[in-house]
Amino acid sequence: MNTFFKEYLDYKSLAICLALVVIGLVAIYSATFDINNAANFHRQVIWSLIGFVAMVLAAVFPLKSIQRLAIPMYVLILSVLFVVLVVGKTISGSKSWFGVGGFGIQPSEFAKILTVLAFAAFFSRTTVSLSNMKHLIGGILIFAVPMGFVLAQPDLGTTIVFFGAMVPLLYWAGASRFMFAAILTPILVAFGALLGTTPFLIAVAASAFLLYITRENYFAAAVAFGITLAVGLSVQIIFERLPAYQRNRIATFLDPGHDPLGAGYNVLQSKVAIGSGGFLGKGYMRGTQTQLNFIPEQWTDFIFCVPGEEFGFLGVSVVLGLFGALLFHGINVAGHSKNKFGSMTAIGIVAIFATHIFINVGMSMGLMPVIGIPLPFLSYGGSALLANMIMVGLLMNIYANRKAY
Amino acid sequence: METQDFGSPSRQNIMVIVITLCFAVLFLRLYQLQLLYNEELGKQSEENSIRTFVKEPIRGYVFDRNGKLVVDVGPSFSITAIPSEFNNQNLDFLASLLQTDAQTILERINKGRARTRFSPVRIRRDVEFKALSAIEEHLFKLPGVSYEVESKRYYPTKARAPHLFGYCKEITDAQLTKTGEYYRQGDVIGSSGLESFYETFLRGEKGFEYIAVNSKGQMLGSFENGKNDKTPKEGFDLVLGMDAGLQAFAESLMTDFRGAVVALDPNDGSILAMVSKPDFDPSVFSGVTPAEIWNKLNMDAEKPMFNRATMTRYPPGSTFKMMIALACLEEGIIDENYRITCRGAYRFGNRIYKDQGVHGSTNVVDALHKSCNVFFYQLVPKLGLDKLNEYGLRFGFGKAAGIDIGEDTPGLIPSVEYYDRVYGKGKWTQGNLVSLGVGQGEIGVSPLQMARYAAALANGGILLQPHAVHLIRNKRTNTMNAIEYRAEKIDIEPHYIELVREGMRRVVQEPHGSGGMARIPGIVSAGKTGTAENPHGDDHSWFVGFAPFENPRIAVAVMVENAGWGGTKAAPIGGLVMEKYLMGEVRRRLYIAPMKKDTVIKVTELRRE
Repeated sequence: MNTFFKEYLDYKSLAICLALVVIGLVAIYSATFDINNAANFHRQVIWSLIGFVAMVLAAVFPLKSIQRLAIPMYVLILSVLFVVLVVGKTISGSKSWFGVGGFGIQPSEFAKILTVLAFAAFFSRTTVSLSNMKHLIGGILIFAVPMGFVLAQPDLGTTIVFFGAMVPLLYWAGASRFMFAAILTPILVAFGALLGTTPFLIAVAASAFLLYITRENYFAAAVAFGITLAVGLSVQIIFERLPAYQRNRIATFLDPGHDPLGAGYNVLQSKVAIGSGGFLGKGYMRGTQTQLNFIPEQWTDFIFCVPGEEFGFLGVSVVLGLFGALLFHGINVAGHSKNKFGSMTAIGIVAIFATHIFINVGMSMGLMPVIGIPLPFLSYGGSALLANMIMVGLLMNIYANRKAY
Repeated sequence: METQDFGSPSRQNIMVIVITLCFAVLFLRLYQLQLLYNEELGKQSEENSIRTFVKEPIRGYVFDRNGKLVVDVGPSFSITAIPSEFNNQNLDFLASLLQTDAQTILERINKGRARTRFSPVRIRRDVEFKALSAIEEHLFKLPGVSYEVESKRYYPTKARAPHLFGYCKEITDAQLTKTGEYYRQGDVIGSSGLESFYETFLRGEKGFEYIAVNSKGQMLGSFENGKNDKTPKEGFDLVLGMDAGLQAFAESLMTDFRGAVVALDPNDGSILAMVSKPDFDPSVFSGVTPAEIWNKLNMDAEKPMFNRATMTRYPPGSTFKMMIALACLEEGIIDENYRITCRGAYRFGNRIYKDQGVHGSTNVVDALHKSCNVFFYQLVPKLGLDKLNEYGLRFGFGKAAGIDIGEDTPGLIPSVEYYDRVYGKGKWTQGNLVSLGVGQGEIGVSPLQMARYAAALANGGILLQPHAVHLIRNKRTNTMNAIEYRAEKIDIEPHYIELVREGMRRVVQEPHGSGGMARIPGIVSAGKTGTAENPHGDDHSWFVGFAPFENPRIAVAVMVENAGWGGTKAAPIGGLVMEKYLMGEVRRRLYIAPMKKDTVIKVTELRRE
């Protein structure tokens, strides 16, 4: 019995996930206690119970069946995303919600993992190879289509998460250095374009150099460079068309001091909250920034301030430690998994979590622009919690099946 | 087709390294925010969520020597705004309620913002009740706006004594930067007289109330149950040496004159009364002083703000003779039997110095009694300037008295260096010294110095530090604290002082004395009149005196500008002041010769509406 558990039960993932869910509930209670009598907390408790059931199901569902169902489910979610675009509810500027009674469902949360599953299922076919240009483009398209839908909502944050999942997946799947350079240079140039002309030119030069030294043949390098330039130039045009609030957010990231009562206000207050926590924190339910609601909608994207302010450096270290343990464990599971589908799915899950964690925590501390993506397990939000717990369930499933080809 | 690199250990390691690096960055940032910047961000978080409300203390009261309240406080309402919460769209509305212009309000809010965004700034002090109730009615529409209760001065007795009481004014920007933490914009601060000198005692200690607010600025109640709040502490009370009745009486006597009266208690140096005319009503400075009143007072040609009692320096005229006599007696230049024969004039070199009469054979007592100039003309050249300065200092001339209501003039006793500077070395002669003997020439004394001198003669040779405040009541311990003042024994043979006092007695009490108009029915008093020659106009009239002759209880100096002979203006005023103090009231008809028509002064009387 004991060996059975060791062999098949991924108790590490389970324990870390439950610990984080509990910490999340504690933080949400503190943040919403006086705002709505902790109604969000009560809802999140229900979601975590639902999430737990979903996690168990994801952990025990036959992995082969999941692999077979991956592509059909992916197609299904694409159509859902499309429908959402047309008839969805608009919440904080994005059309990304389905209303089901009192509970809203955010399909894009599930689209992330389904896209990872579809990518993994596609590339684990023996007939498919990364070195085949058609297959490579197909793989990128698996990501590009939902990204396009999500960006159209418009939800910049989730789009970035898709991207953050795709790059490590390609890397893990064995993309060559040139391929990797060809993927990274457009990002570099796009970022340069946002900063101004000089950074843009520097980015273009750096990209040319990168593509040159990793080149496999000149033609491919030239095409990649052309795409890079096109992306860079179009970023400026897209930026102009972004909704004002997101443009503002990007501008705030580039200059945090500007507009302290607008987009920068959240970051300032968030930094004050975390910084004023000090080493031990102000004590549970005793953080003034949190309790007096200085950080708008803190229970969603800025939940990290709650442990930051109330439990201090020590408390935050525990949270980040748990996240770190989850990510390293996930990579470990991927490395030990003998079947490609499981291995790639595990890396995809790690990549999704990592992108969320680094962007969200970085944003709370003023290291990243204010991009609205939640902190896994801690932020309030049913769909996200459900999706995250399903991902942990899948990780546990992959762990249990790591020795099967 | 299998890709070789799929999930290779090297790619796994790189992923681990990338994630580790990302965590390292997050931890570095955490370390920076929570451990390095903790103090600064902690302070910011406090400022964010705690509003500090200052509770103004009640300024101390001032009582006279009989325990009568002379400077009172009453409530005054100030309108305040918290800069971080005030909405500039309400500016015009608020301005209309306060009946002022929006620009002034905006300036004050912005000035306050520069100091602290989160604490109330006074935008208008001492608003009228009507404006206050209008604002209160609309308070819900005016976020950040509130009002505070403060104290303002009232003067319940007839004693105005504006130069002694002084006044409070709104603190200036220059003072704000100089005085540091305690004061904030819109505070009143003692700016002259007692209010200024005893500011730290009178002001009390501000209280603070900390209120927690949420991000919308809504008050949630006291922060930490008021654990950190401080109740304001009342200012200390002052008990003066002044007799409010005497002060009011002396002021009434001086109503039509330009000049000063100083009455001291010769036993301790406390100021019984101090009048400087023309003056102003100190209540114009309670609450807000409109700029036009302030300007009017400052521009007035009669200089009502100028304290003539402590700051003028006129020659003392014949009132100086007692000091000259004492110096010469002590130095052995004359003795009590020394006589001259006065023929009505004195020749020194080529110049003739006239006397007012022919006094015949005259000793020192006679010379004082009849104010014989010839007797004194010859003395200063014999005494010399150095000795004149030395004895002047012993009696408090040429040096500030160090009074507790502000600055007082040191006056001037000419010295060799002084003459060398003014006339040039060798360009002046002993002739310049002749008229110093009768208190004319370059000598400058203040009425305060003269009163101090009169007190020293009254008490047999003790130079006292004149002072307004006698006791300070500490309201926290409820104890009365006496203040120590200087009292210096003047090193002069007591018998000589007796001679001089006898001369002064005769001036008032005997025929041929110039001070007859200072006589008090039923009380023996002593004094000396003086007429200060004034090259710019009519002479100034002086009187110094004390009473009763034995065991004096009051010493007085009176100076009336441009009133001519000392005996007719200053002496009756001095007599009446002493009588009022000693008898409680003056029963006889007051008679002081009026001023010549063209010199009657017009006192600008300013009142608040």
